[in-house]
Amino acid sequence: MRDRYLKYLLVAPAVLVVFATAVWPLFESLRYSFYAGRLSRPDFPQAFLGAENYLWAVSEEPAFWNSVWVTFLFTIVTVALTTVLALTFALLLAPGGRFRVGIQALLILPFAMSPALIGVSFRFMFNPEFGLFDAFFGALMPGFADIAWLSDPVLAFWVVVIADVWGWIPFLTLVLIGGLASIPQETLEAGRVDGASGARILRDITLPQLKPVLAVVIILKAIFSLKTFDLVYMLTNGGPGNATQTLSHYVYFNGFKYSNIGYSAAVAWLLVIPMLLLTYAYTRLVFAREEQ
Amino acid sequence: MPLSGRQQTRIWNGLQVVLILLFTLIMLVPIVWIALAAFKQHVDVYQLKLFFAPTLENFRTVFEEPYSLGRKLRNSTVVATATVLVAIPIATLAAYAFSRFDMRGRTLLLVLILATQFVPAVVIVLPFFVMFRDLGLLDTLRGLVLINTAIVMPFAIWMIKGFIDGIPIDTEEAALVDGSSRIQVIRNIVLPMAAPGLVTASIFCFIIAWNEFLFALILTNRDAVTLPVGLALFKAEEGDLWNLLAAAGIIIMVPMFVLALIIRKHFVQGMTMGAVR
Repeated sequence: MRDRYLKYLLVAPAVLVVFATAVWPLFESLRYSFYAGRLSRPDFPQAFLGAENYLWAVSEEPAFWNSVWVTFLFTIVTVALTTVLALTFALLLAPGGRFRVGIQALLILPFAMSPALIGVSFRFMFNPEFGLFDAFFGALMPGFADIAWLSDPVLAFWVVVIADVWGWIPFLTLVLIGGLASIPQETLEAGRVDGASGARILRDITLPQLKPVLAVVIILKAIFSLKTFDLVYMLTNGGPGNATQTLSHYVYFNGFKYSNIGYSAAVAWLLVIPMLLLTYAYTRLVFAREEQ
Repeated sequence: MPLSGRQQTRIWNGLQVVLILLFTLIMLVPIVWIALAAFKQHVDVYQLKLFFAPTLENFRTVFEEPYSLGRKLRNSTVVATATVLVAIPIATLAAYAFSRFDMRGRTLLLVLILATQFVPAVVIVLPFFVMFRDLGLLDTLRGLVLINTAIVMPFAIWMIKGFIDGIPIDTEEAALVDGSSRIQVIRNIVLPMAAPGLVTASIFCFIIAWNEFLFALILTNRDAVTLPVGLALFKAEEGDLWNLLAAAGIIIMVPMFVLALIIRKHFVQGMTMGAVR
């Protein structure tokens, strides 16, 4: 067969899979969001509601705004902490040598862990009676012993943040090490010859050159922070109350605990919008590099 | 006493090593903690002992009723394996075409495929739940394979495309001039050369499918439950059964650690889809 037809035949199955499993459900969800969609009833979806599901979320549901706020705060905090800590770790590990390369290999481990399992592990460590974290804090500052971390709305939020940052630092560190390795040695060498201090080389040469990779890291982490579900489900299940309920968890809760698919589809689409903007920014970055 | 330049460098290096070790310790503590708890007896879990009489009891208990982790282990293995077997051939064909041919809408398609991994799973799962209910696919392994194929597809295409991009095109062109068909070229030249890349992509996709949580949570309830969802079983009236949770955790994470270490050079590349090289 001629290549001009063959090439389309080769990509057809993959494109079909992607359309059937991502594009179609995305728009099917959009359709649901305009209907009353009670899962418990056999006819689905039910009456057409227009924009009512959206209006209900933004005007009648404090729980919706709560989850928007939780997700927003969670994203800002985790992106900032993960980026700063991963950059620090990457700068420490980048020089290479057997010791540092060995540590780099270990970094892959937390990333191969299921986020659900990370949630379980941190719930275990923050247990007020026998958790490792509690014992550590209790020994350091006796006044802080036996705190019920996960029963306090503010502390529980920070436990989720810590668990998430813990899970993401290793991977983003490896990405940044890759970025650091691609900075041309000559520019660094030139800085050293000119007698610039380590701090100045970092500020004036390394960081500016690392900017594209840092941008990728920040956007990628923001995307995954906005979607956070597994970790929250296993660690706090959104609680106490709804103090740690992210948007994804709120959608899940309304869709599958209250079987209100129409409403949860509307909320889900409100989550899709910022995601589209971030995805656009990410693909622009990737293809800018591709075309170089 | 002012320090000489050499002394300063030495102190700075020592400080770096201390910081690296501290970071690494923090990274490993939760993993080690699970590993220890998995070998503890029920009473020891509630104490912070580093030294205890280790037991394999937990690993026996999790496979017995009512937990029957064996079933979930089988489900996870079947789903992840079948996902790889379905997704990798499809992805390989597409990756080859994207790598070697110019076609209309190529960039747009690649962007679209890349972007699908960023769609929040909770959005996708709503229509899938309704569809699976209508088609009788709820709580089946087939349904999970379908979903996981979709999840891994963008990663697989981008990863394999990266590997094929790295194969020199000369041998292929020579074979075409000698009268081989394009299909023969793919089978006899490209596949053998891309084999290490295909293995890497397969392992990467296996890990993603193995760890997938949200879809399995919503689309299964009894027969097709996978390992990560099975973790929720170890909640009893008296609270979480930590030693059993830990044993199940070991069973979930250790095989993935081994796989991740095998492909660790390509792990970062796979996740960022060529955004970082």
